[in-house]
Amino acid sequence: MGKKFGSFFTLICLLGLLVSIVTPAYAHKVNIFAYAEEGKVFTESYFPDGRKVIDGKVEVYDSQENKLLEGKTNKEGLFDFKIPKQDDLKIVLIATMGHKNSFVISAAELAGDEDEGSIDTSSTANTEKETSVKKTSARRRHAPKKEPLPMAGVLGGLGFIFGLTALILQFTSKKK
Amino acid sequence: MHISEGVLTPQVWVGGYVVAAGLAAFSLKKMRTDELPKVSVITAIFFVASLIHVPLGPTSVHLLLLGLVGVVLGTSAFISIMVGLTLHALLFQHGGITPLGANACMMGIPALIAYGIFNLRKNFSMKYGEAIFGAIAGAVAIFLAGICLALLLALSGDEFVGVAKVAVLAHIPVMIIEGAVTGFAASFLTKVKPEILDGRALDASGY
Repeated sequence: MGKKFGSFFTLICLLGLLVSIVTPAYAHKVNIFAYAEEGKVFTESYFPDGRKVIDGKVEVYDSQENKLLEGKTNKEGLFDFKIPKQDDLKIVLIATMGHKNSFVISAAELAGDEDEGSIDTSSTANTEKETSVKKTSARRRHAPKKEPLPMAGVLGGLGFIFGLTALILQFTSKKK
Repeated sequence: MHISEGVLTPQVWVGGYVVAAGLAAFSLKKMRTDELPKVSVITAIFFVASLIHVPLGPTSVHLLLLGLVGVVLGTSAFISIMVGLTLHALLFQHGGITPLGANACMMGIPALIAYGIFNLRKNFSMKYGEAIFGAIAGAVAIFLAGICLALLLALSGDEFVGVAKVAVLAHIPVMIIEGAVTGFAASFLTKVKPEILDGRALDASGY
């Protein structure tokens, strides 16, 4: 029993050592975020650890899955295009090494942008202008730069692994 | 290094599932019940290690530990990696459900090859054999995973050489780190608990 515990302890120490020398982040997926402003759609692409997606391929589809246009992200992970169609637009990001994700910007949001634009150009009440600016700022800030490690998922995964092992061992020991 | 949902063509991901199912069955058949505690601990290490990254100058890399999983678990490595990847896909949307089989092959096959490389040490009576062959196994596993990734993407329409270059070059730091980690771990375990590396259970009756 003592030796068994010692072996487990050794392996747990190795795990602890690994976790302690590194910091949490992900590089397994990519994120893309888009917003409409002044007749254009602006996209921001990044890995969840905050790195920009450079030269990532961006494809834009309408609600019927017809490809409308494509382009590449720049060094800042940004790509923008004129609104090609008043429809739900699906913006697909294809990064290197099998990474892919998409973002849907609704027709309502595209239309809303036009409304906001008309408020700005007509120079009506200052309060309306400020609201428009605040909305835009809020959207831009929405793009997260670094996601925290989802501890609930990590604990859930570890619980599943050890729980399943315990169940199998319990079942097989009863069988014997 | 997880392939995302929608990247592979149906033929490739279905093929991935077929190969993965065969290898998982082989892995399960070879695994003994008394190995389960060891397999579960290594699966937990693989599950967590893939979620963390090492800052390295202007860039950052994340560990995979395919070599370590292969060296410690042997043929059980494949099922361990498959469970870990399933949890990644379900809990964090890393990879995806349809490319799960292909991802398992991409990481599981190099882990099995790493085990084969590590076993070659028995043919050479050299000092630090475990450390040297462990390091080679750790580095080669990452290299092969990069090649497998390029091959899977090439089968789905991408150009093989270009993707392989990017995948291998991007993972050179990971190869070095994992080679060092696997070599150190193999050397350390040989000194303190050699039965772990010989494919025997932690609570083996051979004490």
